[in-house]
Amino acid sequence: MEAIKSALDFSDFPRTDMFIAGVVSVFLVCFPIFPHSSFAMATMIQFLMFSLYGMGWNTIGGYGGQVDLGKAQYVGIGAYTAAVMLTRWNVPFWVSMPMGMFFAVCWSFIIGYPLFRLKGHYFAIATIATSLVLKDLFEVWDFVGAARGLEISPIKYSPPDFLRLIFKQDVYYYYIILGFFFLGILYVNWFRKSRLGFQLRSIKDNEDVARSLGINVHWAKVKTYAIATAFVSMVGSFHACYIKNIEPEDTMSLDLSILIALMAMLGGAGSLWGPIIGAGVLIPMKSYLKEWLGARAGLVGIDLIIYAIIIMLVSAVEPRGIWGIVERVRGRKAR
Amino acid sequence: MSLLEVRNVSKYFGGLKANDNISFNLEKGELVGLIGPNGAGKTTLFNCISGLHPVSSGEIFFDGENITKLKAHEVARRGLARTFQVYAASGDLSVEENVMVGCFMRTRSRAIARARASEILRDLKLQALSHYLVSELPVAAQKKVTMATALGSEPKLLLLDEVAAGLNPNEIEEIMAAIGHVHRDLGITVMLIEHVMELVMKVSQRVIVLDYGKKIADGKPEAIARDPQVIRAYLGERFVREHVREAK
Ligand SMILES: Nc1ncnc2c1ncn2[C@@H]1O[C@H](COP(=O)(O)OP(=O)(O)OP(=O)(O)O)[C@@H](O)[C@H]1O
Ligand SMILES: [Mg+2]
Repeated sequence: MEAIKSALDFSDFPRTDMFIAGVVSVFLVCFPIFPHSSFAMATMIQFLMFSLYGMGWNTIGGYGGQVDLGKAQYVGIGAYTAAVMLTRWNVPFWVSMPMGMFFAVCWSFIIGYPLFRLKGHYFAIATIATSLVLKDLFEVWDFVGAARGLEISPIKYSPPDFLRLIFKQDVYYYYIILGFFFLGILYVNWFRKSRLGFQLRSIKDNEDVARSLGINVHWAKVKTYAIATAFVSMVGSFHACYIKNIEPEDTMSLDLSILIALMAMLGGAGSLWGPIIGAGVLIPMKSYLKEWLGARAGLVGIDLIIYAIIIMLVSAVEPRGIWGIVERVRGRKAR
Repeated sequence: MSLLEVRNVSKYFGGLKANDNISFNLEKGELVGLIGPNGAGKTTLFNCISGLHPVSSGEIFFDGENITKLKAHEVARRGLARTFQVYAASGDLSVEENVMVGCFMRTRSRAIARARASEILRDLKLQALSHYLVSELPVAAQKKVTMATALGSEPKLLLLDEVAAGLNPNEIEEIMAAIGHVHRDLGITVMLIEHVMELVMKVSQRVIVLDYGKKIADGKPEAIARDPQVIRAYLGERFVREHVREAK
């Protein structure tokens, strides 16, 4: 009860923030009603998915300050669990998605338990390594289609299939991921004010002080890493049903891991709205760049250059990202 | 039974003996000062007691239990809290939120943690600052916030590492009042490291002196102030002239 109340309580944000959040929410709910291109729709779905990836990353990476560059491995576990279970055993999404979360969380314990003994940069590098190893495994594992990947053929089902999440029109996917998006915000809003949220912020600040306040630093990190993982895996399962064609190269690539972290950092690590702002800036930019570059093959790679510039700007101008700038102008703190 | 028993504790950093065979007891309800020149090993001793450093040899008992091998968070959960010499408080959190981190050691409920925190802040006369960020406060207030945070964990023993360093006389007066309140009214046993002699000698019931990692004296403040070994190591003739004579 207290948890639900806390999740719904945004009263520590100023009125203007709540007004803007309200307007954006109404826009998101109404967006499909307005005339739009299928490209715009696809971009919006990507935006919502990446916001959720970012929210997950933000729990451990933002509030906890543990830079994690291996989130793609959990996207992969979520996506593959959903796809394999659907294509082989006809298991609906609402069963396979929690199963995927379960597998991902188990894997996160196996990875997180030893890795959180490492500090700082070593942790970040180790997360990259484990993610790449898992990707390599999937590329040679025949059961999951090896490097060819898996295809969910919509012909076998009769859309709209709400159980298996097989739809012809994107608008269905849009509203489902929008539902997750709002739930994700409520969850993080609870999390940041919860005991674990406070403990993480203390850990980020000074681990010895955190320990002397009775916080089991290692366990708090492992737990939060599992929470971040559950978020990411859930969206990964959705991704499989939405894209219908997954392979290790796109669901588990290093690019994806970096993009997730980068977005959250650009928007504002360790703040509720940061990952959403980051996704709101980067995803449309990425989509339009890609479309625009499609015609100019010589410029491939420019998106990487842009990411690099963003990293440099964030670290030089305001480590707390766009939200940090907003709060600094207002003379307030991250929330 | 003593609340804290330190038995033959040594701590080496490579060849450096930061703590060299130190033994002492703290009784329930005592207020004990720990003094010594820079680098004497005072902070290291706190680190050993609170479980942040593994001891090189020796044993530590708290409330009858051997805590030598326990991890820092396990020691804290048994009721041993501390503040840090250099650390102020989490600058990104408000004063109240900082104290709540301490309170969360004893409860999962945000509402309870919050109520406890505001109670403690009222007690230490910090309630007016509740919603400021710690980084916005002057040092004196930051030090009191770290004390409040430690109190949030409802300790039996509180170790204070130089809470008065860098404060002006008025502020020292204030923090002394706060320490007195914690000791007398809350009944918490206190051990404090302090360079500000006026403070240690005035509030402590007993003073322990370290020099080069060794315990060189342990006794009532007046006796310590007259101890020739302590004077040579630390206090200096002038302090004795100005403070001990007038106290008589
Ligand atoms: N983690 C460490 N690694 C190596 N040497 C250390 C470490 N911590 C402390 N020392 C050394 O141990 C000795 C005692 O240091 P300590 O910080 O305990 O002194 P102190 O009595 O608290 O001094 P001060 O009054 O300056 O705070 C010093 O020589 C210090 O350099
Ligand atoms: Mg010290």
